[in-house]
Amino acid sequence: MTTDGVTALIADDEEAPRAQLRAALEKAWPELRIVAEVGNGADAWDAWLEHEPRVCFLDIRMPALSGIEVAQRIDGRTPVVFVTAYGDHALAAFDAGAVDYLMKPVDPERVVQTVARLRGRLDAPPPAQLRDLLAQLGAQLQRRAVPTVLQAGVGKEVRLIRVADVIYFESDTRYTRVVHEGGEALIRTPLKELLAQLDGEQFWQLHRSVIVNHHHIAAAVRVDEGTMHVTLRGRSERLPVSRHFQSRFKGQ
Amino acid sequence: MDAAAATKPRADRIDWSQLWYPGPQRIFSDAELARAATDAPSRTLLAAVLINVAVMAAVAMMVAPPQITAQLMALMVIGAAAAWPMALRLWYRPTRRALTMLSVSYLAGSAAAAAALRAMAADSTERTWALSAPWVIALLVTVLLWFLTVFRAEQLDLRLRELDERELARERACQLAAAQMQPHFLFNALASLQHWVQTGDRRAAPMLAALSGFLRATLPLFERPRLRLGEEIEAVRQYLEVMRLRFGDRLSYVIDASPQALAVELPPGLVLALVENAIEHGVSPSVEGGRIELKAALTGKRLKVEIHDNGSGPAPGTPDGVGLANSRARLALAYGSNAVLRVAASPPRGCVALIDISIEGPG
Repeated sequence: MTTDGVTALIADDEEAPRAQLRAALEKAWPELRIVAEVGNGADAWDAWLEHEPRVCFLDIRMPALSGIEVAQRIDGRTPVVFVTAYGDHALAAFDAGAVDYLMKPVDPERVVQTVARLRGRLDAPPPAQLRDLLAQLGAQLQRRAVPTVLQAGVGKEVRLIRVADVIYFESDTRYTRVVHEGGEALIRTPLKELLAQLDGEQFWQLHRSVIVNHHHIAAAVRVDEGTMHVTLRGRSERLPVSRHFQSRFKGQ
Repeated sequence: MDAAAATKPRADRIDWSQLWYPGPQRIFSDAELARAATDAPSRTLLAAVLINVAVMAAVAMMVAPPQITAQLMALMVIGAAAAWPMALRLWYRPTRRALTMLSVSYLAGSAAAAAALRAMAADSTERTWALSAPWVIALLVTVLLWFLTVFRAEQLDLRLRELDERELARERACQLAAAQMQPHFLFNALASLQHWVQTGDRRAAPMLAALSGFLRATLPLFERPRLRLGEEIEAVRQYLEVMRLRFGDRLSYVIDASPQALAVELPPGLVLALVENAIEHGVSPSVEGGRIELKAALTGKRLKVEIHDNGSGPAPGTPDGVGLANSRARLALAYGSNAVLRVAASPPRGCVALIDISIEGPG
């Protein structure tokens, strides 16, 4: 086990607590390399997919996705430490051993203890019942409204696209390409933010830049050890499935 | 709604059913009885009843012919002994049904006593006494029981209402305190402040000023039943300043209130709670953040306070939170139907909360 050059992600929607946590971590864990500092949950998940940090420090209350929702997506593949202000969330009511958390304003001594525990957990399997625990934690947070219609500007008109008609979304430099049953359109909302708004049961993320309505998936095809793609019903496109999402398709 | 129902006076109609089915209408639940009816009758009450009974008994003994005093004495002792447990039963559980059943059984007992005494009577005087004495005692006892039941039911009713009101007031005070002293607000603000102090950041001083300004401005919220809108808006301004420093360019705000509106007195905390709501549900969940606009204007006797945010807006059919329901109850208590609190989506984006009050009289 090596702890040299361990990478970390810090997510908090406020700049000062983020900077404070970074300063505390630099003291308590000098070898730690902070590869991403982000201000909302959608960016946190996107940064996780991009950098695959070894540890994550997630604020619970964040725009787009809560820290709990990001942890649910990470799904135990990386240890997570929640960061929260007193009274923000009843984290303390949960078994302290099962979920790591820090209280804001962060206490440097607590950070040292947490770092010691994290070093031991880096290569350990995720705690049992992690999913149940996160589901319980998430139940205390308010739900967002799920949009039913997207508005796409095409020339002078604004087209309304029913979310249910969407086949897949693909990020396209500054825009998101929406392929739907009536054609194609570009919208300005970044894919990572759309991901936070859509119903995760229906829309599956397959890649950092692809979300698909799973009703339209015909088959998942494994090409070699690390490569997989899906084919769609009645369409010729093949959409890539990146490593993180291949476990969705396992055959029964 | 509850507050409105509580303040509405009950219609004073004659309850004709009292003629054939006397006693209190209200039926107390076991929980209500446990809350209000566990006290024993007071010593004063017991003494008054005993003295009255003794005086009546003495008068009866003096009036009665000497040959029946022994029987009369026995009759009165038995009558009192039978009435005592009934009275206690009604004291702890004053219901119409129990009153009727106990009265009927007492009257039946008296009828039996009258029949027995009459059979033993030797002459016409004794027969008259044998017939009348048990009935007079029965009449007195049943009237006493009726009086006791009605008095006790009324007493419990008042006591329960008082307990409810006291509890409601305490609950409101707690909710107000919780709304004003949200620990997560304080600790989040302190988290930023601590960091800026440690790093010598220039934002430390304005943050400290805004935070202490907020604490100072919210203190009167706990102390006074009414507060000038101007004082409350000062608390709101400091609150928004703390949030603006924390959120950086994710939050902007503007406050626009006329001097006449600032002088109006309101139950404290309502506007602040709505602004906190707009931050919590509008600006905070939005990636780009948002803008809060607070407008207050007085037109004639009508005060309108509007809080607008351009955040994500309420999801359709979202139920009102506890905070909003509490604010509505407090407005209804203070102004009845003269005040309205509306929260609605504000197209194209965001949410608007409106307090609209018709103010009667000065202040």
